[in-house]
Amino acid sequence: MIQKILIANRGEIALRIVRACRELGIKTLAVYSEADVQSLHVQLADEAICIGGPKSADSYLRADRIISAAEIADVDAIHPGYGFLSENAKFAEQCESCNIKFIGPKSKSIRMMGDKSIAKETVKKAGVPIVPGSDGPVESEAEAVKIARKIGYPVIIKAVAGGGGRGMRIAHNDVSFAKEYHVARNEAEKAFGNGAVYVEKYIEKPRHIEFQVLADAHGKVVHLGERDCSVQRRHQKLIEEAPSPFLTSDLRKKMGKAAVRAAEAAEYENAGTIEFLVDAKGNYYFIEMNTRIQVEHPVTEEVTGIDLIKQQIRVANGEKLDFDQGDVTFNRHAIECRINAEDPARNFVPSPGTIGLYYAPGGHGVRVDSHVYSGYSIPPYYDSMIGKLICYGSTRKIALERAYRALSEYLVRGIKTTIPLHKAIMADPIFIEGKATTAYMEEFMGRTPPDLFS
Amino acid sequence: MKRSELSEFEVEEEGFKLKIKRDINGVPSAISRGSNPPFPLAESAPVPPPPQAATAPATSLAGAEELGITYIKSPMVGTFYSAPSPESKPFATVGTKVTENTPVCIIEAMKIMNEIQAETKGTVVEILVENGQPVEYGQRLFKLKQD
Repeated sequence: MIQKILIANRGEIALRIVRACRELGIKTLAVYSEADVQSLHVQLADEAICIGGPKSADSYLRADRIISAAEIADVDAIHPGYGFLSENAKFAEQCESCNIKFIGPKSKSIRMMGDKSIAKETVKKAGVPIVPGSDGPVESEAEAVKIARKIGYPVIIKAVAGGGGRGMRIAHNDVSFAKEYHVARNEAEKAFGNGAVYVEKYIEKPRHIEFQVLADAHGKVVHLGERDCSVQRRHQKLIEEAPSPFLTSDLRKKMGKAAVRAAEAAEYENAGTIEFLVDAKGNYYFIEMNTRIQVEHPVTEEVTGIDLIKQQIRVANGEKLDFDQGDVTFNRHAIECRINAEDPARNFVPSPGTIGLYYAPGGHGVRVDSHVYSGYSIPPYYDSMIGKLICYGSTRKIALERAYRALSEYLVRGIKTTIPLHKAIMADPIFIEGKATTAYMEEFMGRTPPDLFS
Repeated sequence: MKRSELSEFEVEEEGFKLKIKRDINGVPSAISRGSNPPFPLAESAPVPPPPQAATAPATSLAGAEELGITYIKSPMVGTFYSAPSPESKPFATVGTKVTENTPVCIIEAMKIMNEIQAETKGTVVEILVENGQPVEYGQRLFKLKQD
């Protein structure tokens, strides 16, 4: 019986986990860096232990110190959140061998899906469509070019050990392929310590549509619908919504079943996400599986009514899922805007500093998941996301208008944020019509004067 | 998994106080947290701390440094032991003179005994933790007077 959870993360997700534990009557232990002493979740948790200096490598990535803290405080489980060690198979293994429950899948599932080419092979065997490409990493440039010609240009060259949108280069012909292949290998080596790359068909202007899955430790796997995350800048998501304005209910059923098969092939337990690219004709292709809870999970929570963090804890506790696929319903439309401490008028340069007046919007259909408050100093050592604004309504139109209204009320003085950018997108005709693909942001920024964001 | 034998544990730094108590059956009893300014416990609605983040410690939880005083801080998370073994004399007591390489304590983490060296010169004027106490990263262990 899980009675105390160590939260191996920070910021808004750590606060989210503290809140879920509070409601479940589970004690919380926050581990934090010296830069996060004033963090809200550290103040709200039942216990807190400092695990290192400000840099992530000296604190939130120190698996040894985190496990040590878990032992001295006698925790039953660790929730890794997202990022940091959440998809580190070795860390999950260390928890397993120390008899501490890792709130997430088994380490072998993390390992299987963490290698992009093994992941593709695994789901392909389960009858899930994958993007045509090399079967695994390419051994040489000659082999790579042959595959590129066989698939047909344009192609994308991806790092085997990459993720989060990093380590990818596009080539449109043999000449550019030769150059991009070497650039991709060098970048992969530098960023991930592994220069292996694979080649895939590049799907033009796809939509990024991902399915939330939830599996218990007793063999039941369900999907909780999709999230459309096509609005991205440099492969970083800015806006996510559910349901996707593009999917028909028929395509949703097909893709949902495929997502469940993919999770079953990975012998999955707990919460995860299957990512697909969908072209204009409705062809869908598996690209990767995220073996963790995601930033945008609230969108699914508002549409299905299911508390994903609580479900994660319940599954980790060995409990069976108390609902079937047929019980999952999708009501309302929800849209999330990631609020970052960046200046959209100046090429999204980070804007750390101290927040002066902070006022978060409220009212019917508005949810704010944020750890910041008036007077809070944003540490410069971590990512720039300061909160998530999730708005929902019975129709997409209402959700968008509500998001526009909420963004207009949202005050964060003292730093620059992406709030004005989100407002402009909520008012943009192409986005309102539901026509945004992954090509949307570049096109939108191209026709929008920067001082609209200041 | 090793379970700590501690029965009571309290640490206080500026703006932060943590106390864990456990009865002999290993069930946690009074767990309280407070901070300066006073911060509510789990039961009441959370109130964000008043604006004082302009001076929020980005460095360690250091109070006003007295002249000629320095601290040996824990470089890791684990359990503090004052002597190399239960039967031995402590590495350092009040009055002990230390140099950079003098071992001052053991911190046990994940079943490994790590000998911690002073890494500074001085005379021990106060030992701030107890034998067997869990310590966190950056926690002050010894107060030293430097010449």
